[in-house]
Amino acid sequence: MIPAQFDYLAPKTLDEAIALLAQHADDAKILAGGHSLIPAMKLRLAMPQILIDIGRIQNLSYINEDGGQIRIGAMTTHYQLESSTTLKQICPLLPETAAQIGDVQVRNKGTIGGSLAHSDPAADWPAAIIALRAELVATSTKGDRVIKCDDFFVDLLTTALEPGEILREIRIALPSGRTGQAYMKVAQPASGFAVAGVAVTITRDQQGRCQSAGVGVTGVASKAYRAVGVENALIGGPLDAQSISKAASTVTDGIAINGDLYASEQYRHHLAQVYARRAIEAAAQRAQ
Amino acid sequence: MKIEGTQELRAARTRVYQALVDPEVLKRCIPGCESLERTGEASYSTTLRAGVGSIKGVFSGSVKLEDMRPPDHYRIVVDGKGQPGFLKGSGDLDLEDRDGGGTVVKYSGDIQVGGTIAGVGQRMLQGAARMMASQFFTAIEAEALAESNEPPPKHGFFRTTLRWLSGWFRRAFNG
Repeated sequence: MIPAQFDYLAPKTLDEAIALLAQHADDAKILAGGHSLIPAMKLRLAMPQILIDIGRIQNLSYINEDGGQIRIGAMTTHYQLESSTTLKQICPLLPETAAQIGDVQVRNKGTIGGSLAHSDPAADWPAAIIALRAELVATSTKGDRVIKCDDFFVDLLTTALEPGEILREIRIALPSGRTGQAYMKVAQPASGFAVAGVAVTITRDQQGRCQSAGVGVTGVASKAYRAVGVENALIGGPLDAQSISKAASTVTDGIAINGDLYASEQYRHHLAQVYARRAIEAAAQRAQ
Repeated sequence: MKIEGTQELRAARTRVYQALVDPEVLKRCIPGCESLERTGEASYSTTLRAGVGSIKGVFSGSVKLEDMRPPDHYRIVVDGKGQPGFLKGSGDLDLEDRDGGGTVVKYSGDIQVGGTIAGVGQRMLQGAARMMASQFFTAIEAEALAESNEPPPKHGFFRTTLRWLSGWFRRAFNG
């Protein structure tokens, strides 16, 4: 449980950090909370030669709302998101998701940007980010680049971030109208990671029918994904028990489900359907 | 752990088979393969720097091809160990002509993985295997399609990912 030798760099500004990363792109990893990276390093499953700690950079930890947009700094901790009274009012899915991550220690140190950039296939944030149709802002020596959440998660532990890029900010359109949100998951009892987790946003039109829907699924496949079939099945529908159940049954259509010793493919498939249904029901009920 | 899958390649079956048994081609196509030395008729010793994302490990071991029936079938037997753990297992590859040209490769195998990587990474093993199989076959397809007088295609991670993505889009939108 002792990591291989590495150099530790702690830049004070974001510009300094991206310059360092550009210089050491192949050998360096960004430390952004470290609750996945450090355990992997201690087991010597990851052996970066250089750690660039972006935890001492000012102004990377914030939750702002202006111009119909919520902006979250990449180094905002899970706990800050969980306990934000602003978010509880304007976008409760974020605190609800944060509250279900790992344990208190993880939530106190782990960050939303770190989690997204690591892209663990069972992490909670990716589901919420996809349901909310967030945009992610990456920065490098070439400037900022905005990545849509649907393009961000590429494969297992692989994102659209290029070598030299640092995830800087998460942007979410301010939910409006009769919107309800929910995140529900089955947590692995040892790790707290999602065996299956489903994040849902539902907006009703004036007649109470489903106007728009966002459904993000984590824990089930090699990466978090948008359940497009479920969204399409919900939109325009009455959001009654039958239509919700029917929509939720398509949650893994076209997806290669992963199994492990804890949960087989069939079991995950079943859990995903049940939790999709429950999360949609909860979101629909909150959309009043 | 069982690994099963089907991969459709746009190249002709004889060329795909040739690529799949050519050590030079395999060395270029196996993700993270650093060396592949012939040790017998159809057996090789290899060093792999395998992994996904920031999780990587170096494995060394042996690869044997058995029951070779060109251009239909062979069996691959692997045995390797490294700092993060060990893996051993075998798998069958079956090649069939695809309707309308190209080749369908069906693979199925059983692999035992042990050590640290299995202890803490068990939940990601299947995903990692799928990802590497997909990278491998994407690279094999490019090799089999390339004219023999061209220099061999490059398989940097980025290119392989791009090829894999474009293949995925093709499948997604053309049924």
